[in-house]
Amino acid sequence: MIGKRSFLQNIFLALAVGSVLFICLFPFIQILSTSLKHQFDWGNPSLIPMKINLEAYRELLGFGKMKDAPIPDTIKRLLDNPLITEKKKDEIISKYRSTGDVFPFPRYFLNTFILSASAASISLILAVFGAYSFSRLRFKGRSTIQRSILFVYMVGGVMLMVPLYQMSVKAGLTKTVWGSLLSLLLIYIIQTLPVSLYMLGNYFRTIPYSLEEAAATDGCSRIEAIFFIILPLSAPMLVTVFVYCFIIAWNEFLFASVFIKQFHDFHTLPLALQSLFVSKNAIWDRIMSASMLTLLPVIFCFMFVMRNLTGGLTAGGVKE
Amino acid sequence: MNKHAGLFNKMPISIEQRESRLGWKLIAPSLGVIGLLIIYPILYNIYLSFFDVKLTGEKFFIGLANYEKLLQDTAFYGSVLTTIIFLIGTVVGSTLIGLLVALLMNLQFPFRNVARAIILLPYFAPIISVVFGWQFIFDPVNGIYNHVMVEVLHVTDQRHNLIGDPHTALLVVIIFDIWRHFPISCLLIISKLQSINRDQYEAAAIDGCGPLGRFFHVTLPEIYFVLGTLVILRLIWNINKFEDVFLLAPNVQTLPIFTYYAAFTGIIDQGFAATISVVQFLFLSFLIYFYVKKVLKW
Repeated sequence: MIGKRSFLQNIFLALAVGSVLFICLFPFIQILSTSLKHQFDWGNPSLIPMKINLEAYRELLGFGKMKDAPIPDTIKRLLDNPLITEKKKDEIISKYRSTGDVFPFPRYFLNTFILSASAASISLILAVFGAYSFSRLRFKGRSTIQRSILFVYMVGGVMLMVPLYQMSVKAGLTKTVWGSLLSLLLIYIIQTLPVSLYMLGNYFRTIPYSLEEAAATDGCSRIEAIFFIILPLSAPMLVTVFVYCFIIAWNEFLFASVFIKQFHDFHTLPLALQSLFVSKNAIWDRIMSASMLTLLPVIFCFMFVMRNLTGGLTAGGVKE
Repeated sequence: MNKHAGLFNKMPISIEQRESRLGWKLIAPSLGVIGLLIIYPILYNIYLSFFDVKLTGEKFFIGLANYEKLLQDTAFYGSVLTTIIFLIGTVVGSTLIGLLVALLMNLQFPFRNVARAIILLPYFAPIISVVFGWQFIFDPVNGIYNHVMVEVLHVTDQRHNLIGDPHTALLVVIIFDIWRHFPISCLLIISKLQSINRDQYEAAAIDGCGPLGRFFHVTLPEIYFVLGTLVILRLIWNINKFEDVFLLAPNVQTLPIFTYYAAFTGIIDQGFAATISVVQFLFLSFLIYFYVKKVLKW
């Protein structure tokens, strides 16, 4: 008697679902649409561009504009001089390449990717052992550890902003590029470590003890059990936690803006896009295509881990 | 005898001891990192709040002066008020809309799993990208919002810069934050809804309950706990929220943004920023304590 719907109810349901999906997707469609529009078309409320404009994508990916700065003949002759080292030559050429107006998207993309992937990997490795420890081994202080992890997982980055900055200054890390990047990497690790511990701990608890006992009778040590039993069984969850941490780092803006703002070559995507947006030569099609390109890897990851992710989140609470 | 004692000492340690040692060894790296980079900074932050701290690291002890300054700062009270409005709006909004959409997505219809995946997109998409989508929607010159309001519906005859105006920006930020976070509430509510036994609905229907009655007598008591958890967790996350607010509308000064401005822009006063963080931290600790005691029931 429940569950049968009339024709009218079906229509109502379709409308309701349709409008929820529309609201969820509209900003994304808007981004895609504007990224493909010409300037004269921006004010047009229609989402379909009158004429497709791929210039912005081409420029961001480095196909366009780069040839625009020709190297003068005198410099060319200079470059032919065998006395100049290769490094020096590259420096001279790069001066003519960087017109100052080009937004080096691939470079920012790579910066963000390397930073996020390193932070997520280190955090995952630490978390595998940590989570195994408090979810599978019995020892004094275990429940205190579990509670403290839950606690730190709710303390946001904003509250650590001043002390972490002062600690980096004291350690002399903020003076150099690599020091600043190291600070940033460490910060991304601690922003993702508690949630990794939490999600993995919850997952490890669902793996039956009997498997490990069987391995122990076969002469497996605990460490071997982690590598040969726990890790293969939790492979989907490991990928999920990795991606989750990766996305947290990929999105991070606050600490990036504090630590690497002055090192333009090492900007991460959120920082670079924000600077592009507030700069005078901000152009909607460029911003939107950059947004689109920032979005794509995350959507790709998301589709990849969707099934496990929802399970992991509902089991492990949420972190952002 | 001595020889025997020596032998005794070398005897293998018990299984419990070995397990305990291994447990500490495995957790030690994580604890080290968390201790050094989370616990220590929290304490260091309290210490810094009693100092006048320069960006270069120099500091001078000034006692409670930062706290006095904070209590006399009208901008601080304004920021607290903004934060409270932001919290109420986003917590109520994301939980209620999450609940409504969860009820909708719990009905049977074709491609339901695809629909459920799609509604999670706002939550997982990079904040920096979606922020520009929203900026464009509300752009005074090109945006669809102004087009609809002025040219289609004729609600107003002037185009407004909703995000640029601090009075309306808070509202846009709240709507944006609800849009971004209702999916996760929805996801958690759906997973609870799925565990409710269908028999309960049948029984309620036989007792003469309509759809609304079934919601209030069966669904609501079952998901009550989840809703409570969502409210308190959303409060905790949103007190710390920085990117969602700052990137969309830097003129909306919730506490994290207020702290950020004090610490890194204009007249830099890191000790003062530390003081704001301490106050915020006390409030947060109270919420976490409440969560742990009442929701997790430790």
